Amino acid sequence: MTRSPVKVLYIDDEENNLLAFKASFRRQYEIYTANSAAEGLKVLQNLPVEVIIADQKMPHMTGVEFFKSITDSYPDPIRILLTGYTDISALADAINHGDIYRYITKPWNDLELHNSIKNAHEAYRSKIDLRNKVDELEKTNDELNRFIYSISHELRAPLVSVIGIVNLVKMEGLYNSSGEYWELIESCSNKLDYYIQKTLQYYKNNKTTSDKSEIDFKKLVDELIDLYSYTDRDTQFKLNINQPHPFMGDSFRLEVILGNLISNAIKYQKDTEEQKLVEISIDVTPFSAEISITDNGLGILNEHLEKIFTQFFKTKNNKGSGLGLFIVKEALNKMNGKISVNSSLNQGTTFKITVPNAN
Amino acid sequence: MLINVERPLRVMLIDDNIIDLKINSKIILISKLFDEIIQCQSGEEALSYFTMHSGKLNKLPNLILLDIQMPEMDGFEFLDNYKLLPEEWKANCLVAMLSSTLDFGDIRKAEANPYVLKLLKKPLIPAELATIFNANFNLTD
Repeated sequence: MTRSPVKVLYIDDEENNLLAFKASFRRQYEIYTANSAAEGLKVLQNLPVEVIIADQKMPHMTGVEFFKSITDSYPDPIRILLTGYTDISALADAINHGDIYRYITKPWNDLELHNSIKNAHEAYRSKIDLRNKVDELEKTNDELNRFIYSISHELRAPLVSVIGIVNLVKMEGLYNSSGEYWELIESCSNKLDYYIQKTLQYYKNNKTTSDKSEIDFKKLVDELIDLYSYTDRDTQFKLNINQPHPFMGDSFRLEVILGNLISNAIKYQKDTEEQKLVEISIDVTPFSAEISITDNGLGILNEHLEKIFTQFFKTKNNKGSGLGLFIVKEALNKMNGKISVNSSLNQGTTFKITVPNAN
Repeated sequence: MLINVERPLRVMLIDDNIIDLKINSKIILISKLFDEIIQCQSGEEALSYFTMHSGKLNKLPNLILLDIQMPEMDGFEFLDNYKLLPEEWKANCLVAMLSSTLDFGDIRKAEANPYVLKLLKKPLIPAELATIFNANFNLTD
């Protein structure tokens, strides 16, 4: 691939320097010269210059002043300052305010200047490449978000219609009219719906943006219990929510975390248990929220405890997708939270969570 | 505040999906909460129903169940147009949204709209419809 030569703008009030520069470098670079800052600006306005070299000592406007004046209007070209004398304050100014890449003393050494221009151009390329990559990523991210939105509508809408039809079949007393077929359709539909919901939660959690809003834990937990105990009214809940301090956090992720844990606590109960119980206690301090969720359900085998937070881990008689706890863990990672689990088989399970208060 | 209403009661369904119109009509029928169901396949159709029956208050619905995702005029755009209808047409009419959406943006937008009582989730369940009904209507006869 033949790349067009690097476009260099050299500004110096001494005509001889401009000529010498041209003579030395015209074979390697596409060179534009200007004998004042004002002339240099004219070149910048008309050409996509990649590297700018400016002499410090010029009448009207010094090299540093020129670089300062174009920081907002032309941030991309890489700047090299040439000076004939060592002026520490000009140098400090140049580095602090002029965004200078290199500083070269006059008279310049051809090889040194050549290397500097080469490096400056590489810096320019990586700056532009990075920006293009960021643009590309933002575009992909946008597309993904639109895709997720369309999944939640186009894919789920017809499924919800099917579930609606099954509900109608129940209401009209036809549920048992064709053996177990309706029951099978219902269980498949619910499973598919569960997967779609978990997939959406996973992708939404992956988006880096996090919102900070005030969380009322009592209200949140009540809503979630209402939502998940909808199909199973047997389980009793004992709440001990102590929130003397306001809590700021990511409402979507907290909802995902608590929702998954509460629905698990309901789902993994023992069928034989007479008093299905889930205890939720939350203590809010100015620094964090300490949450513990305990059930007296099936419990988890010791050898499975380490794997329950990994993606698609399921046990043989597991009713889940292998996504719930994985999503919980991912969401906690995004919030700098922690989770631990304690369980004994057939006795029950306790999940303990700490989430920092972003107040 | 409860709205005093008397039978016959009318509910309007706005949904571009014919299957959902059918399902939800059946569910409303089973709930016995309403006597007449007005089915519209688009927001435009619903608006023209209002203008067609402009003078006849006994033809206008008491409750609108409004889908969100519809081609051309979506649920929120319908509400923008509904807002412009004469006050007396809307005096005895409430709106609830009915959608399968899980999108946070949609849910927040629906809850923030002053005309929307609640966002109901599909599939519609008679008990939830009854809760909304009892919280807002008072049957006087």
